[in-house]
Amino acid sequence: MTRWPISLAVIALAVALLAAGSSIVVSGQLLAYQDGYVFFTTGDGFRVASNVVIRDAKTGAATSLVPGPRIWARATFDPSGTVTELDLSRAPLPPEGSFADVAHFAVALSTPVPNPDLLRALQTPVPGSGVPAVQQFSGEPVLVTFIVQVPPNTPFTSSVYITTDASAWYAQAIPMDRVDALHYQITRRYPSGTVFRYLYDRGSFQSVEVAQNGLTRPPRNLTVGNADVRVIRDTVYAWQDAAAGGVSQPQPQIMPTPYNPAPFPNLPPGIPPPQPPPAKPPS
Amino acid sequence: MPSPAPPSTAAPQSTATPASTATPQSTPPPPKSVLYLTAARIDFYYDSFLLEADGNVRLRTSDGFTVSGDSFSMDLKNNRYLLAGHVTLHDATGTVKGAAISDFLDFRRIYFVPVTGEPDRWTFLDGDLAHPVKGRVMPDDAFYFPVIVQRPSLTAGGAVIDTRTYVRFVNSHTYVAGLPIPLGTDVVNFSSNPYFAQNSLSGASADLTWTVAGSPNALTALHLRYDPTYYLYGSIEQHLVGDHEYAIFSVNPATRAEKWWNLKLYEALGSRFQIQSFTQYYAQQDWLRLPASAQQTTWLNAVYAFPHSYVQATSQLTNYNVLGPGALELPNSIAGNLSHPSQVAISASSFQNRIADLPLFEQIFEGYGFNHDSVGAAQYLNGMPPYWPQGGRAFAPIPIPGLQAYGAPCTEQPSKYYTYYCPVYTTIWDTVFGFTFFTPALKLNAAPSPYETYYFNASFTKQYQWNSLPHWIGTDTTSFSISRQFARWVNTYLGYQIMNTGDYYIQGGYQPCAPVGTTYCPESLTSFRGVSTLRTTSLGMNFVPDPDFNASLLVRHHDDFPIPVPGVFSMPPNNILGQPLYSWYLGQPPYDATGDVRARILPHMLLDVSRTFYWYGNPYRTEFWQPNFVIQLLPI
Repeated sequence: MTRWPISLAVIALAVALLAAGSSIVVSGQLLAYQDGYVFFTTGDGFRVASNVVIRDAKTGAATSLVPGPRIWARATFDPSGTVTELDLSRAPLPPEGSFADVAHFAVALSTPVPNPDLLRALQTPVPGSGVPAVQQFSGEPVLVTFIVQVPPNTPFTSSVYITTDASAWYAQAIPMDRVDALHYQITRRYPSGTVFRYLYDRGSFQSVEVAQNGLTRPPRNLTVGNADVRVIRDTVYAWQDAAAGGVSQPQPQIMPTPYNPAPFPNLPPGIPPPQPPPAKPPS
Repeated sequence: MPSPAPPSTAAPQSTATPASTATPQSTPPPPKSVLYLTAARIDFYYDSFLLEADGNVRLRTSDGFTVSGDSFSMDLKNNRYLLAGHVTLHDATGTVKGAAISDFLDFRRIYFVPVTGEPDRWTFLDGDLAHPVKGRVMPDDAFYFPVIVQRPSLTAGGAVIDTRTYVRFVNSHTYVAGLPIPLGTDVVNFSSNPYFAQNSLSGASADLTWTVAGSPNALTALHLRYDPTYYLYGSIEQHLVGDHEYAIFSVNPATRAEKWWNLKLYEALGSRFQIQSFTQYYAQQDWLRLPASAQQTTWLNAVYAFPHSYVQATSQLTNYNVLGPGALELPNSIAGNLSHPSQVAISASSFQNRIADLPLFEQIFEGYGFNHDSVGAAQYLNGMPPYWPQGGRAFAPIPIPGLQAYGAPCTEQPSKYYTYYCPVYTTIWDTVFGFTFFTPALKLNAAPSPYETYYFNASFTKQYQWNSLPHWIGTDTTSFSISRQFARWVNTYLGYQIMNTGDYYIQGGYQPCAPVGTTYCPESLTSFRGVSTLRTTSLGMNFVPDPDFNASLLVRHHDDFPIPVPGVFSMPPNNILGQPLYSWYLGQPPYDATGDVRARILPHMLLDVSRTFYWYGNPYRTEFWQPNFVIQLLPI
């Protein structure tokens, strides 16, 4: 008598296992949901069963969310590749399954054709051809340390900053720390693949760096590659407001003092102006 | 399709090219496009330059097509956009419906997922919408939405996007503490052209900028600013920018009686020559009424680059009283003096050259200058206050001409209250020559770890200035420092600097200090003859436990001649933020310590707070704090 329920349980388990093995579950972000298809941000479109079940991904209950762009979904495919269930969420869902397993379910009228643009990116350039290899970026954070050597005439109390096009060229975007008489340093964290242009300055564009030849210099370019740590060493040859031997550019809101070739502007009134030696008494 | 790459993350300051973005090599840069975007809601994220739109999105492009759909996403720095959900693409050749379209503007590739009965994949090459390439494999991330966790910087109902340059938002709102503030039209400039950042404003503790108008070559901004000098005020600035030139005009503060009108011009002519100018006009006036006081200065600079050196000519013309002599008349004169000095200098400077194979570099410079002022300035009248004698006593404008009064008191004194000195030079020619030697960072030991390595730096600069009056000035500055980074998060340096300044007169020169009124003459001032020596020992420490937090401490000891005595020397003027205007000066307190703390308080904002403490030690034991904290909010 006891064999009958055991057999029933084994059969039920086998059916369940078969059923489980025949469905594929993949999670991802939706691109569109229209015309009987669901599209993921991979660009793949899949047929949707007419009686597709739509649920909340977290609770499994019915949801007011509507499938559409930006919505995250866990899709269940039947053996024929039709989506039978969509569990929706506004927040990203943990990765589940692989789109490689359902790629053959994707519907496309045209036969795939290789993309020469992408093939070119995968090819290793011939050595000496001058063609640069295409860089691939992981997006992982990279600690980037900037070390800059400043001109010896940089005032000791000066602050040095990095200005970048990523912060709309705000002159004090990245304050640096003096590490010795000639060097400043700062470490920042950027995702690999970050690209920006930058210049060094002393707090404003009146005191931005100039090129070694005295002209306004074009910004430096930085592309953060895949690495744990990167050190960038630069040299500032001169500041715009500290040209050697020249007349300094006036600062905003500071009217220049009249020319006076006397280097001590704050002598106490007890010291009279320089004057010739007293005349010798007639002999 | 290949397996998907992880979605690109909108990271601060990131213009990250998403993973495995394999795009065609760009040949000539594509023409810039203008996109006209409307939607139920448009969000902009300043820290990542992302533009997101949802609900009834309509996009019209200058390339000649329109697209509508449910959701839009554009990475302004990567210059690509995505429109998804019930997409309708319409151009002169017809209308196609689809699920999504992605335009890589820089590469002139449009990736489209049409739904013509069944989905397909089309690629439009080089703007040719009439001949799609069907079935071509697309980049993995062509249709990825960025993951955004922060709140938008502003929202709008419409936007005009000039690719690679600016976005003009319509009916926009920004948010302060979660509360919407209507801005109407607001322009965000994200051009990589740094000329847009050239400005003629002074520093401020905080600056809220509202860019009310913009174009590929212009930007108009209103500023709400705060600083310890003028407190809260408004300013206006106009930028006109080209590829090789710019013009910047500003009024700052515009809402205070003390107004500074600024004009900055720049032009690069070829690859070796540039010319620039800065004109500043100061007026004390209520709104735009007749000024009670007005001054003006214009600075002109031209640079010509040679292969290993450069020459520059600089001129400065200043008029300390634009209003004329009448403005000096009592009893309400605040117009300053009638001086209008002019300066012209031509200087040549070499590049930094390495000496043989030594770890030693040199740079030399020389220059010639012409300085002229037929009127003269109040500062050469010993004891003369900066403006006008107080008390309403009638007095003519200063009659003494010249740039520098050198000599004994004049035989005829025009005033019984002040002492005038003779002779007076109205023109001074000068010659400047100088050189610098310096070593870059030299390793002092062969430590196994970079955190145990000591580095040594040194520099020596000498400059002579010979003037046409019997007078020359020599300055030399010698610096040494030893530094070590103890760990990734802490580094220190010990520096020593000697600055000698000699103000020499061929005949005579400085006289011993003589007490004037209550002025005290300490011993070192009595022996002072125009030569000073400033010796500074510095100990600096930086703590950077995290890239988002930084603390630094700088402690200095000055061993100077003349010896500083409290109350004898005047402190230098401060800049608008309350920091000393000069990096060195006679009478600086023998000890000072400056602490500075920076922390990221918002995803795109740093707070920087610093303050200095000064003390004299024995025998005076006087101590005081810098008058105020220097607080700055720094957008990053």
